[in-house]
Amino acid sequence: MLSTLATPRLLRAEYDRTLLWIVLTLLALGVVMVYSASIASAEADRHIGYRSSYFFVRQLAYVAAALVAGAAAFQIPVQRWQRLAPWLFGVGLAGLLLVLIPGLGKEVNGSRRWLSLGLLNLQPSEFMKFAVVLYAADYTVRKAAFMHSFKKGFFPMGLVMFLVGFLLLREPDFGALAVMTAITAAILFLGGLNWRLFVVLMVLLTIGFVLLVVLSPYRFNRLVWFWNPWADPFGKGYQLTHALIAFGHGGWLGVGLGASVEKQLYLPEAHTDFLMAVIAEELGFVGVLFTIGLFVFLVWRAFSIGNRAASMERYFAALTAQGVGVWFAVQTVVNMGVNMGMLPTKGLTLPLLSYGGSGIVANVVALAVLLRVDFESRQMLRRRSP
Amino acid sequence: MRGAGAVGVKNARLNLRLEGWRSRLLLLTLLACFVGLIGRAAWLQGFHSGFLQQKGDERYSRVLEMPASRGIIHDRNGQPLAISIPSESIWASREDIDLSEPQRAQLATLLGMSDAELKQRIDNGHGNFVYLKRQVPAAVAQQVMALRIPGLFEQHGYHRGYPKGEETAHLVGFTDADDRGQEGVELAYQSQLAGQSGARRVIKDRAGHVIDEVEDIRAPHPGRDITLSVDARAQHLAYRELRNAIVQHQAKAGAVVILDTQTGEILALANYPDYDPNNRDHLSGAQLRNRALTDTFEPGSTMKPFTIATALESGKVTPTTVIPTGNGQMSIGPALIRDTHPAAALTVAQVIQHSSNVGAAHIALSLPPESMWNMFTDVGFGQAPKLGFPGEAGGRVRPFRTWRPIEQATMAYGNGISVSLIQLARAYTIFADDGMLRPLSLMRVTKPQPGRRVISSKTAHEVTDMLELVVSPEGTAPQAQVKGYRVAGKTGTAHKVVGGRYANRYVASFVGFAPASAPRLLIAVMIDEPSGSAYYGGQVAAPVFASLMGNLLQSLGVPPDDPATSAFAQPIAPLKAAGL
Repeated sequence: MLSTLATPRLLRAEYDRTLLWIVLTLLALGVVMVYSASIASAEADRHIGYRSSYFFVRQLAYVAAALVAGAAAFQIPVQRWQRLAPWLFGVGLAGLLLVLIPGLGKEVNGSRRWLSLGLLNLQPSEFMKFAVVLYAADYTVRKAAFMHSFKKGFFPMGLVMFLVGFLLLREPDFGALAVMTAITAAILFLGGLNWRLFVVLMVLLTIGFVLLVVLSPYRFNRLVWFWNPWADPFGKGYQLTHALIAFGHGGWLGVGLGASVEKQLYLPEAHTDFLMAVIAEELGFVGVLFTIGLFVFLVWRAFSIGNRAASMERYFAALTAQGVGVWFAVQTVVNMGVNMGMLPTKGLTLPLLSYGGSGIVANVVALAVLLRVDFESRQMLRRRSP
Repeated sequence: MRGAGAVGVKNARLNLRLEGWRSRLLLLTLLACFVGLIGRAAWLQGFHSGFLQQKGDERYSRVLEMPASRGIIHDRNGQPLAISIPSESIWASREDIDLSEPQRAQLATLLGMSDAELKQRIDNGHGNFVYLKRQVPAAVAQQVMALRIPGLFEQHGYHRGYPKGEETAHLVGFTDADDRGQEGVELAYQSQLAGQSGARRVIKDRAGHVIDEVEDIRAPHPGRDITLSVDARAQHLAYRELRNAIVQHQAKAGAVVILDTQTGEILALANYPDYDPNNRDHLSGAQLRNRALTDTFEPGSTMKPFTIATALESGKVTPTTVIPTGNGQMSIGPALIRDTHPAAALTVAQVIQHSSNVGAAHIALSLPPESMWNMFTDVGFGQAPKLGFPGEAGGRVRPFRTWRPIEQATMAYGNGISVSLIQLARAYTIFADDGMLRPLSLMRVTKPQPGRRVISSKTAHEVTDMLELVVSPEGTAPQAQVKGYRVAGKTGTAHKVVGGRYANRYVASFVGFAPASAPRLLIAVMIDEPSGSAYYGGQVAAPVFASLMGNLLQSLGVPPDDPATSAFAQPIAPLKAAGL
């Protein structure tokens, strides 16, 4: 079995260059599109001094910082990440707690998601996603023997996630909760959680989320208006109809880079949550297909890296790799689904592309760990092969 | 706890089996989601894009008007009397405007208004769109836009400039903020002067800035220039002389009309009080009135030549027929008609020369009322002159069947009938133009308009001869004499009717033409309520006439026809042939 994997091609490189290029391409696309999407709103914003390159410059700095952080993360062996997992999770929990403390947490658009650290604003939930991946993977490995049991296998993790969910909903950050729940469930499932139990849990989770939505007027409204945004296109359906118009305006080939009309103050959050709409308008279906293709490749790569690690009995590494894949897949699908009117609006960014320092740093660090998993697999194969 | 954990990990090594189907299933599920996204994107961007693009157009595509410049109004020699100057309108979007206090103060200063006024304009009112100031010079608009205030916009347009200001105010009129004619020629010739604005489709950003031009729907067509019959120089002189006379005689108002007797063209049309059409902030109705056209008055003695002409045409009298004038008094029923200069008897010519009311009444009573009524209406009294001006008055000529003898008698010398100055001026052209009446024209005409014969050439010349006597030293208006030229004219001094009774207020007038041997210009002067010591037409209006006529005949190079008073040694006949 090992011999089939140990192809000479794989061993020629020490790390997954293709994946690295995919990530760099996505980052570059993000910087360009954030710039394009934010020029108009930046020029109209008194608070940032009408500087058209305000968001562009910051996004560049975030990407640079993320690459440095990623390079550092890559140096850390997977085993150490596993040991760090509970601690990182703890730090993440503390962060989620801190944003809720008045004075420390910074409120933007009605959500307390940011920690104000002088020059920088930190969004703990973005780092928490990464911590959840590590923690769930570590947990699953530790509890491998009880994966058939609800009480011993699922319940402790469920309790912890309930706490996380409680904190996230206090911000509120429903999108982050959805992503973290998906990551945890996926890792437990991959780790061998009894599939009947899993199905039951999925049903319960679905009911839980539906209740959360129905019981919160603000989320319920969003849900209702997402079904038919044209019923109130200038009120509650405003953002979504503009996103949809952006897709339609872009057509197959797009209106060309920089030529989006929707970014001209029509579409709110064009450079963050609705960046995909601007990509769709400027680069067309072709651009959408290209972007989705990059993410699909990234997710597929994460799963195959995980599978190879699993075949080498590096279970924590395997679950971490596939957890990262699930994270990117779910967040991308939800973000794009929201942009295209398939899912109700929630505050989720497009990984690696949307404007925002915490998100990009957390994303790149996670991908660095993914690359590290693959790197270690290759190292082991090299040592074993003659 | 830690120990147990270590055992757990060890157990895990033994028990954990990552089943391949689980990761394959999960990956497939996720990929299926991506496929769903691709399908949705294809639907939105390919198959459903028509609907979405239409919705988009509704939101950000706009049809913008492209203003067209208005035609220039020239005088007969090409001097501009009204021009279109590019200007900007500054407007704001109430929703989007975002300005700090110092910015607002700066903006107010630039727009020439107080800070409070500007604030009030922005804050109070309905709708999102508000003009802060219209017709702002381009240079100022540039400074305003340099403030880079979000939600503040400029709109291109034109505004009208009137180089001659007050002089041509009533004649040329003005336009409103939307460049539509409101008064004068601007209104009368609106359809020619107005351009046809163009249209283009643009894409606007949410704040209202044009970010893309989609198509030109229609190119703007500038309005047509027009050339008036008016001579800017004649207009200038008419205005100046009129104003001087009004000031000198402390009069309420006045008007001057100058006609080309050969073509019916209006060479000048001046009114006072006046206004500055370039700055119309504080306008009153009195200033705005184009009195020569809109105000009618009882003309008084200027009506007598028409009575005499009717009599001459009827063949009942000749210029030398002697009319008894009963020592300046005549009774008709209880009414008494008086003359200023009593005489026992006067010839028909002397009735005009001395402006005898009794003589005119006597002659009138020998005529059938119908023939007088025909004469009055034939020369245009009672009907608006149809120049296209707003409020042109028709005057009042009552139907002859209702005339009582006393009324017929007083109408003979211009009481009980009302006319506008322009009607009076036009009526006099029958004497100056061989008995022909031509339509008036405000536009320069290249060849004379066809006229209509009202009186015979013989009668016309006979009346002209009588009118020449008026300006003789023995006549009522020696002050109307013009050096070097024979002048024919008639004074008028009419009591004004106030509250149905004749009051001691007067309208002094003089209508005359020259050179009498071959008339070129006709000038009618009306001074309303001269309140100085002089109020007779011969004292108040005639000097205005003389000054204007002399000046204009010389500047036109019209050869003098009166060697006796001529400054020239000899009349220069060939010049007349040259058509100057």
